[in-house]
Amino acid sequence: MTWWQALIDAGAVPVAFVPNPAAARGSKDETEPADRAAFVEGAELEAHPVPDRGGARIPPAVSFLAGFARWGVVACDGIIQVVDAYVAAAVRRRDGRGVLHTTFERNRAFAVAPLERMTPGLRQALEASVSDVEPIDGELAGQPARYLDTVETAVRRVRAGLERELAEQCIATLGAEEWLLLDGLLSRSPTVARHPRALGVINSHGTQFLEGRGLERALTLPAGHRTSVFAVRGGHTRTEVYSWYLRLWPWEGNDLLYGLLRVEARPDPASVALASELSGWLVAERAPLATPATRWDRLLYPLHNVEEYLKARAPRDLSKTRHRLPVAS
Amino acid sequence: MIDKANPTPIGRVVATELKPATPHQFHFWTATETTVGIGAIVKVQGAGSTEQGAGRVVYGVVTDGFAYSDLATPLHDVVGAEGDPARAADAPTARQEIRYWTAAVLRQTPEEPLQPVPLGQVFLADDADVAQALRMDAFLYSATPTAIPIGLYTSAGREAPVYLDADFLIGPEAAHLNISGVSGLATKTSAVEFLLASIFTHFPQHKGRVAAVCFNVKGPDLCFLDQPGDLSDEDRRRYDRLAVPAQPFERMKLYAPLKADGVNLNTLRTHPDLVGDVEPLTWGLQEVVDYAEVLLNRDDIDAKADAFIDFLRDRVLGRTFDDGFGGTHRVQSFADLDRLFRSIFDGLEITAGGRSDTWRTHHIATMRKVRNRLLNISTRCKGLVTDDGPASDLPWTEFEDRTVYVIDIANVDPLGQDLVFARVVSKLREQLERRELGVDAVVVFVDELNKYAPGDGPDTYVKKMLLDISERGRYLGLVLFGAEQFRSQVHRRVVGNAGTQVFGRMDMDELATPGYQVLTPATKSKLATLPIGELMVRHPHFTQPIFVRFPKPPVLRGRDGVERFPPAADVPFDDAVVRQLVRLDRRIRPNQVKDLIADREQDDVRRALAATRRTRPDDPLAYFRKVLGSRVVAEAPPAAPREHRAVQPLNPISDEPY
Repeated sequence: MTWWQALIDAGAVPVAFVPNPAAARGSKDETEPADRAAFVEGAELEAHPVPDRGGARIPPAVSFLAGFARWGVVACDGIIQVVDAYVAAAVRRRDGRGVLHTTFERNRAFAVAPLERMTPGLRQALEASVSDVEPIDGELAGQPARYLDTVETAVRRVRAGLERELAEQCIATLGAEEWLLLDGLLSRSPTVARHPRALGVINSHGTQFLEGRGLERALTLPAGHRTSVFAVRGGHTRTEVYSWYLRLWPWEGNDLLYGLLRVEARPDPASVALASELSGWLVAERAPLATPATRWDRLLYPLHNVEEYLKARAPRDLSKTRHRLPVAS
Repeated sequence: MIDKANPTPIGRVVATELKPATPHQFHFWTATETTVGIGAIVKVQGAGSTEQGAGRVVYGVVTDGFAYSDLATPLHDVVGAEGDPARAADAPTARQEIRYWTAAVLRQTPEEPLQPVPLGQVFLADDADVAQALRMDAFLYSATPTAIPIGLYTSAGREAPVYLDADFLIGPEAAHLNISGVSGLATKTSAVEFLLASIFTHFPQHKGRVAAVCFNVKGPDLCFLDQPGDLSDEDRRRYDRLAVPAQPFERMKLYAPLKADGVNLNTLRTHPDLVGDVEPLTWGLQEVVDYAEVLLNRDDIDAKADAFIDFLRDRVLGRTFDDGFGGTHRVQSFADLDRLFRSIFDGLEITAGGRSDTWRTHHIATMRKVRNRLLNISTRCKGLVTDDGPASDLPWTEFEDRTVYVIDIANVDPLGQDLVFARVVSKLREQLERRELGVDAVVVFVDELNKYAPGDGPDTYVKKMLLDISERGRYLGLVLFGAEQFRSQVHRRVVGNAGTQVFGRMDMDELATPGYQVLTPATKSKLATLPIGELMVRHPHFTQPIFVRFPKPPVLRGRDGVERFPPAADVPFDDAVVRQLVRLDRRIRPNQVKDLIADREQDDVRRALAATRRTRPDDPLAYFRKVLGSRVVAEAPPAAPREHRAVQPLNPISDEPY
């Protein structure tokens, strides 16, 4: 008998989870400092059952938006690492037969480099060979690991911008009964955040808006339940949205974040009224599973499909596995 | 039809390290909703000059298909449906699916250098593409076209005629056709009937005259080829598309033996409206002895018996012969032969006092055995074999162009079937060799090859003969169209020498035999479920099997024919005699004949009738009266001894690969 079995016997919940430090960090969006949540549905955070799949009302038409980014260091000017980056975002609309069709799509292939720190000749060569260069601060160039964090932030910012533009384009043409479900923060765009039929789904939980008993209730939420709705501000615009947590799959036996989503909707009493119904819809989206994605427990299949679509259309040279063996000079 | 100015691609060639494109095979994907299926002919070409493989066009036929989704493991579907199959369909989003096809290359242009199929766009083939893909352009658009339509390629919502090359169907480059399939569903007989109609329409004039000889071995199958059948509008449209008139055979002659009574025809085509077109088929001793090998059981007939039969054939039949006991014989019939045997046995018994058991070096036991076997033939095949020589036979020197000769042996004893089969085919071979048949090529349709040319079992004369046709017939213009249920059970050289192979619906057990290993599982599945009227065709010009549809034959099916023209009941002897004489001269009144044959021996009447049929005089009744007036003597012996025209010996069956 293991020592933790005694703990479980005493009342602890069994879980099995070996954290991946990089994955646990979550996306930068989610690790930004956040205001504490303000409850808008009841005085404290409670768990509410949501309709099961049989009782869920799934909108007849839904557009799904997701983005994709890939980058790699392709050259060095001294210790200055020059990056080749590609970001893309797409909206795929689900038809009456459940088949997804691309309706909007954007991409951007660009270089990332601290131009002011490069040697003149190489800077000239770079600018002559690539028309789109995203400049970054070269202050951290002397610290390669931190420099790459800066690169990642820059690429993510470009991706977020692309997704925001696409979301705004999409809601402008959204049908009367059509919803937009986007992967990430709804609050990135005030326009989108105010739309009555737009939802953001966040599946990485780097930012915590709750504390104490509310946080515990959120993180131990049973499957098929949602929390009360609360108001948060997010994104660089600090746009207010209403939000709630939703558990798709039982976390017991896995980990606290297993199957846990945070949903963002427009800051409106209607969102509170619709929270359970919308949650039932999202629970119904558990099938088909978004495998083989490792985050399948909290990744909705249509969003996974958009990601796969974008990956399939990404430039081939970026998808090559780079060998790490020394190159003969 | 494809809009040639702006064809729409239906797929795209893809290749991976595990499944690369090769010069002989490629893979492509299509939309989930597609008309492409197994057997569809597709064309691969680059969309533009910058596309990979631009300028190279590859034609292929779809041989396999796959569908799969991004589901990593079936377990994930179970988890997604929470273990309830009913909920699996509730998933709001359909998984990403692929329709992935494998195609075998039919043709590449340019043909050299032969390269892997480019990763280009895939289009459905139109008429011209089908002609190119199947290499039909060479014989379809040449100055002397030799194209024979066999059906319509109808896959993928397209329809294009498919042609066989007469040089490879009738000869001389290749020849013969073999068709396999399960009974009732494979429509083997219908396919051959349609193909004969197509040959008669499209066989090129510069290749000469062609006829067909069909052995009807089952019920009324081929008895009504000259009567129109019911065709649907769709069938008629297909006939138009194939440029074959939707009409029954204009010239069809049916031959049937007589029944044991010697006057009624042994066929199901005896309805009064049709029986007038049926010719009796009767043979005498001379014809039978030439084919004694067919009729005699090899276990019984040894070298000594063979020698005695040769003696009879060379020294006795048709000659004035002294039996050595004071008797002189002229053996022209089985009755004459029986008399000779009796004379010999009596002579040995009486004259030699029973002390000798040999006659002209032949042992009495051998002679008794041969006598029993030969005379048994006239009993077992009574009606086909007569005591009185060749009463009625096929017109061996006057075969007519584009005419079907049907020989109805469905109700004949198997021994008699073998005899008819062997003699007819051998005579055809002889006459074609001499260029005296009247036509340049003859298609011989033989059903039930399982029975006549089995892969195992004894080496019968019929089997040797079929092998001989298969291997040498194309030089003579003697073409075998064979049909059977189980191709694997037919002698491999008979099926192997067939230039054109046709398959109807097949039995899965049969498809599991080694002969079908070259087919993909998907093609086998299609063969096992092939609808009526669809066939898979292999032809020397086609590098892969092709599926075609053919219209229902324009003739009355046997079963329908029997319903529309019910066979007449056997008529009494005197009525049958009347009927046969009236066929020769419609002015003859029945009472005249009945008065004439009243109180006469039936054998005498039969002989007189046979003589009249054989002679075909200007005044049949007068001639009949004349020969009936006295003992009907046999035909005058020829001035010179009868030239023995036994068929040339066939090569023994060997293991020589074809």
